[in-house]
Amino acid sequence: MFWHSYKYALKTLLKNRMLVFWTLVFPFLLAMMFHLAFSRLHDYDVFEPFNVAVVKDEAYENEKVFSEAFKSLSEGDNKLFNIEYTDKDDAEKKLEDGEIEGYVYVVDGKKKVKIKENGTNQTVLTMTTEQISQSAKMIDDIAMREVAKNAGREVDVAAIYRNAVKTVTEAEPNIKDESHVMNIVSVEFYTLIAMACMQGAMLSCEMMNRCMPNITNRGKRVAIAPTRKGVIVASNLLAGYTLLFAAVMALIFFTRFVLGVEYGDNIPFICLLAAVGGLTATMMGMFLSVILKTRESAKNIIIVIVTMVGSLFAGMFGVTKMFFDELAPGVNKVSPVGLITDGLYSLYYYDDMTRFYINVISLVIISLLFFIFSIRSLRRQRYDSI
Amino acid sequence: MIVSKAFWKIVLKNIGSIISPTIVLLMFGTISATSTSSTMTYEARKPAIVIFNHDEEVGMTKSFISYIDKNAEIKTDYKDDDRLKDALFYENVAAVVEIPENFHQDIALGHKPEVKLRSSAGYVAEVAKVMIRRYLTVAEGYAATNLSEQALVERVDKAIVDDVETEMQAPVDTSKFAKASRYYSFANYTILSCFITIICLIMSAFNRTELRKRNLVGAIDIKKMNLILLKNCCLYALAAWAFYVTVSVFVLGTDVMFTTQGLLYAANSFVFAVMATTVAYLISLFGLTAGAVNGVQNVLALSSSFLCGAFVPIEYMPESVVLFAHALPSYYYIDANDKIMNLSDYSFENLLPILLEMAVVAGFTILFVIVANIISKKRRKIA
Repeated sequence: MFWHSYKYALKTLLKNRMLVFWTLVFPFLLAMMFHLAFSRLHDYDVFEPFNVAVVKDEAYENEKVFSEAFKSLSEGDNKLFNIEYTDKDDAEKKLEDGEIEGYVYVVDGKKKVKIKENGTNQTVLTMTTEQISQSAKMIDDIAMREVAKNAGREVDVAAIYRNAVKTVTEAEPNIKDESHVMNIVSVEFYTLIAMACMQGAMLSCEMMNRCMPNITNRGKRVAIAPTRKGVIVASNLLAGYTLLFAAVMALIFFTRFVLGVEYGDNIPFICLLAAVGGLTATMMGMFLSVILKTRESAKNIIIVIVTMVGSLFAGMFGVTKMFFDELAPGVNKVSPVGLITDGLYSLYYYDDMTRFYINVISLVIISLLFFIFSIRSLRRQRYDSI
Repeated sequence: MIVSKAFWKIVLKNIGSIISPTIVLLMFGTISATSTSSTMTYEARKPAIVIFNHDEEVGMTKSFISYIDKNAEIKTDYKDDDRLKDALFYENVAAVVEIPENFHQDIALGHKPEVKLRSSAGYVAEVAKVMIRRYLTVAEGYAATNLSEQALVERVDKAIVDDVETEMQAPVDTSKFAKASRYYSFANYTILSCFITIICLIMSAFNRTELRKRNLVGAIDIKKMNLILLKNCCLYALAAWAFYVTVSVFVLGTDVMFTTQGLLYAANSFVFAVMATTVAYLISLFGLTAGAVNGVQNVLALSSSFLCGAFVPIEYMPESVVLFAHALPSYYYIDANDKIMNLSDYSFENLLPILLEMAVVAGFTILFVIVANIISKKRRKIA
């Protein structure tokens, strides 16, 4: 009887076009939009050479070290700038037209940078000009000190300068870069997976509504049917869970293999998280259906609100999860959307599994609480007349 | 009167569909309002850096830390390693610098002590790295010339001082209007959502076959009824638009909205609201069910908002997406908002590009009206 009921519950769900749209189609559409909107967001952060102008006049030509160093920055594979040598009027016009990020010029030996607005490229241009200017200053300083040391003796100034240049250019700091740079855009997709999971609560809510005599006519029929109510409820919930788990797994595989979202290599643990997340959503849908004595549409609105607020706090709408973690520290620890997002994030970013297990256990506890409260409420429901 | 009454009854019944995107707009507007300060003079982007110092804070170590302090924002509240990792991932912290034991002595002796560095992704992290590398290069360059630690500190501190002058060309303070631009660009989603949902639901109710047939033989002339419906749709659109503009005055402040630029934002959103009304009217002609209206509204509002830069700036998008976005009215509406933000003066030359974008949106309005009329005529023949 269980499997018979399960089969028909699954068929009923698949025939409900609205539920199919919101759980099976909408997350995929959103994933594609995320992919289109964010595809360059990570690349945008990667440095690309930008256009600058250099005012090439006598003052600039006189600064040999400075001009040579600047020239070297516009050559090779790792070049910083696309340099255009021009006069001041043309540089000013190009800056105004937005063709260049800024221009460099020299007045009485003093290096100047002119920019249109504040920004990262402008900071890079200014910092690089300062660095070149500093190196030139250092070379002069070291050479002058050497000349001063040999005062009264005949010295080869050119050789001293060559040595100074060598000293400065060969100075290589001993920096050990231990950066573990990951793609921040992935988190947007994690929130989407979590949102899709929790929106699946609509499925179990719909299936439970069909078993509730005080909500649907079908519920009335179920209440007087000879089949055990527990069997019908369990088979309906399992049907909703099956569809939800399949939808979430399909979404994960779609984002991973079609859109190229990075999840790390722990596929079995990702499946475990999807299974537990789906379970929480199913239990939440059951809980809301049983507890709330209101219209089906009102229950769905509550599910959407819980999911969307959870998604906001998990970082879906541009403001990061960390911002909300600092603003309201407890919310993401109890919000299923926050826990699923954090679970996927910890699998991707952390080597240690502790944080992942904490998220999974929290989801299991939340599911259990929903289940216990729902069962307690269901067991008490008796109707003399309806 | 009966038609108008029925119209507003349906509006009230679906008030939930209006409230949810409006709340999102309000939340977004408020978060956007907590934004940056003025940008009239050059300011280098100061990266947030965490320092773990295993050395005594003397000599070269002290000089190194004070250099970082001057050029970056030193964060001291990341004691927990997990929080620090999260901060690096979310780019709240640009870099973590670990100064080894005996750093000050070793660098002075030319031993090149190993400085550990962890950085986040992105430009600001690159700025932080360049900054740290710059100090250590200068320090090691001078250390190679056999100086005492004291002399090394003096030389490095002197050399590391910036002497490059940075000027700005005719600075425009865009920070004040950046919030307004974000608010009105996000309103692309809100306006489309609210207008499509409500107008489609109402028109779908009136366009239901049985109801249409009843109305055709009813006392009210069908043309008059259509006119009343259209008037009420416009009234609803006008009321909703006025509400969003009023909200913007409270969220963004009178110093932003009671200016010429504020007026331009309102005018641009009005032209867009008219366009959204015609889109909603056009969709309503297909006689969709309430559920289908919800789906269509979400797909249209979200896709045009994502693809045209309402949520993520358009410059981050691939060229193909930007090219496609040109076919959507939202692109011109959002682009006009960005242009209003960057207005330096109100000369006709500067206003022309904004007016042209508004004209394009108005052009879309005319196009949708023409298509709606063609479809409407065909449907009338079928009925």
